[in-house]
Amino acid sequence: MSENKKKIVKSSLAKENFYKLLHNRLAVLGFMLMFVILMACILAPLLTPHSPTDLNLRHMGKPPGGEHPFGTDKLGRDVFARVLYGGRISIAIGLSGALGGMILGVIIGSFCGYYGGWLDAIFVKIAELVSVFPQLLLVMVMRVILGEGIKNLIIIFVFTGWIATFRLVRGRFFSLREESFVEACRAFGIRSSSIVFRHILPNCLGPVIVQLTLNTAGFILQEAALSFIGMGVPSGTPTWGNTINAAKELLNITNYPWLWVAPGLAIAFFVLGVNFFGDGLRDVLDPKQQ
Amino acid sequence: MLKYFFKRLLVMIPMMLAISLLVFGALELTPGDPLTAQFPPDQLVGMSQEDLDALREAVGLNDPMLVRYFRWLIAFFTGDMGYSIQTGTPISQVISYLLPQTVILAAAALLISTIFGLIFGIIAATKHNTIWDYLASVIGVIGISMPEFFIGIVAILIFAINLGWLPAQGRGSADATFIQNLRYLILPASSLGLSLAAALTRYTRNSMMDVMNQDYVKTARAKGLSESRVFFKHVFRNALMPISVLIFLRLPMLIGGSVVIEQVFGYAGIGNRLLTAINSSDYQLVLTIILMLSFVALLASLLIDLVTALLDPRVRL
Repeated sequence: MSENKKKIVKSSLAKENFYKLLHNRLAVLGFMLMFVILMACILAPLLTPHSPTDLNLRHMGKPPGGEHPFGTDKLGRDVFARVLYGGRISIAIGLSGALGGMILGVIIGSFCGYYGGWLDAIFVKIAELVSVFPQLLLVMVMRVILGEGIKNLIIIFVFTGWIATFRLVRGRFFSLREESFVEACRAFGIRSSSIVFRHILPNCLGPVIVQLTLNTAGFILQEAALSFIGMGVPSGTPTWGNTINAAKELLNITNYPWLWVAPGLAIAFFVLGVNFFGDGLRDVLDPKQQ
Repeated sequence: MLKYFFKRLLVMIPMMLAISLLVFGALELTPGDPLTAQFPPDQLVGMSQEDLDALREAVGLNDPMLVRYFRWLIAFFTGDMGYSIQTGTPISQVISYLLPQTVILAAAALLISTIFGLIFGIIAATKHNTIWDYLASVIGVIGISMPEFFIGIVAILIFAINLGWLPAQGRGSADATFIQNLRYLILPASSLGLSLAAALTRYTRNSMMDVMNQDYVKTARAKGLSESRVFFKHVFRNALMPISVLIFLRLPMLIGGSVVIEQVFGYAGIGNRLLTAINSSDYQLVLTIILMLSFVALLASLLIDLVTALLDPRVRL
C-alpha cells in the first residue's frame, strides 16, 4: 500500500489527492485501523509464541489472562494466535478474491465498453443474471460443484465479484470512447489494444480502486459468514470465520464469550477500517459518486 | 402500467431458464445416482441391478441431456421435485413447509430495515451537519462493517440471555398463532436487516440532500407551500427513487443472509434445511432449494421494480 502511494505522489494531481486524503480524518483513521491489524497479522510470530493449531489439553477453555491474552478454546488452542494467523488467511482470501474480480471486471468491462456489440450484450445479460442470483447461493452451487478449499473459495469470489467493476469500467468507456483524445489516438493509427489499456483505462482507475476496497471488505465478511455456517474454508484452517464458528452453540455464547468476541471484533474493525478508507478514497478519486 | 408489468415479466423468463439450466448443470456434475432422487427410497430397496437398469431406461434417465432438462423443468413446475435421499420425503413437501418461514423472515427484515433506514436517513438529512447526522453516519458504517451473524450473536447475548426479553432460539410452537410467535421473529429479523438499514440510512440521507438542493424544491418553497407539503410531495417522493434501487440491489443479499441468520438462531427455515442437505450430500434437495430461493429473489425484485415504477412514471418509459 505505502509503496503504491510513493509512486502516485510523483504527478501533481496525485500529490494533491494524497494531501486531500491525509486531511480526511475518517480515511486516515480507517487506514490506521487496517494497517495495525494487517501488521499484527503479518508479524504474528513475533507477537505470540503459540501456534494457532497446536492443541493443549491442559489449557482447555481458559478465560483471557496471563499466558493467553484472549484465552484458549475448548481444544486448548490459543485464541489470540488464532485471531492473528486467521487474519492472514481471511485478509488474503478477501484481497485476492477482490483483486481477481477487479482484473476480470476491468478486462471484460474495457472490451465491452470499447467495442460494444453482441459481446457487450452477452456480458450485460450475464452480469444481470449473476446480480439477481443471491450471491451466497451462487457460492453454494459452486461449492457443491468445485468442493471445499481456500483456492476454490477465491475462484468463487472472483467469478461473483467482477460485476460491479465491469459495470463501472464499461460505463466509463462508453462516454470516454467518444472523447476527442481517443479520436486523436485513432487518427495517429495507435493500436486498439493500446488505446484501450494505455489511453482510456487510466481514466477509469479511481472508481475501480474504490470498488476494490469495497469488495475486499465484502469478501472478508462473506468468508466469515461462509466459514461460520461450515461452507467456507475447511474447518482445520484457522480463519476469522472458523474461529467464530464456536459461537454456533448457545452455551458457548454465554460461557465462553472470548471464543467469538475477539475474532468478531477483529473482522468488524478491519472491515470498518477498509470501509472508512474506501469512503475517503472515493471522496478524493471519484467526487461525483458521493 | 400493465404493459410495463408484462414487459418485466417477459424479461424474467429467460433469466429463470438460465438459472434453472445452471442448477440442472450442477445437478448433473454432482455425484450420486439420479434414480434415488426420483423415487422414494423404500421403493428402490431390494431391486436387482437389472430392474434398476430397466427402471432407469423407463423413466428416461438415458435420454439426451436436453430432453432430461426439459422433463426436469416441467416436473419442477408441476410440483414433482423428487425425493430427499436423506429422509425420503418428497421435496415439494419440505419446501412448502419451510420456504414460507424463510420468506417471512426476509420480509420482516426488509420491513424493519426500510422503516428504520428511512426514519434515520430523513433525520440525518433534515438535521444535517448536526450531532444526529454524524451519529447516523457512524452507526451506518458500523452496521455495514459487522458480519450479520456476529450482530445476531451479540443480540442473543444482550436481549435474550442477559435481559431475557426475547427468545434466543427457535421459531415458537406450531400450535400458537402467528402473533404469539412474533416474538421469535424479532431478533433474527433485526439482525438480518441491520446492515440493510445502515445502507439505507446512508442512501436516504444522500438522496434527500441531493433533492433538497434542486431548483424545483426552491420553487415549491417560493410558492409559499408549507414545509411539510414541500417535504412529502416534492422532496421525499423524488428521493425514494434511488432508495428503491438500493433495496432492489440488496434484496438477493437479504435472502442469502437469511441462510446464515437461521443458523445463528436455530430458526427452522429453508436455509437451515439447505445446510443439513449440503452436509449430507443430498444434492437433489440442495439444488431444488437453491432454485426455489433464486426464484423468490427474482419475484421479489420484480415486485420492487413495480413499486418503483408506480412511484416514478419515468421508469415505465
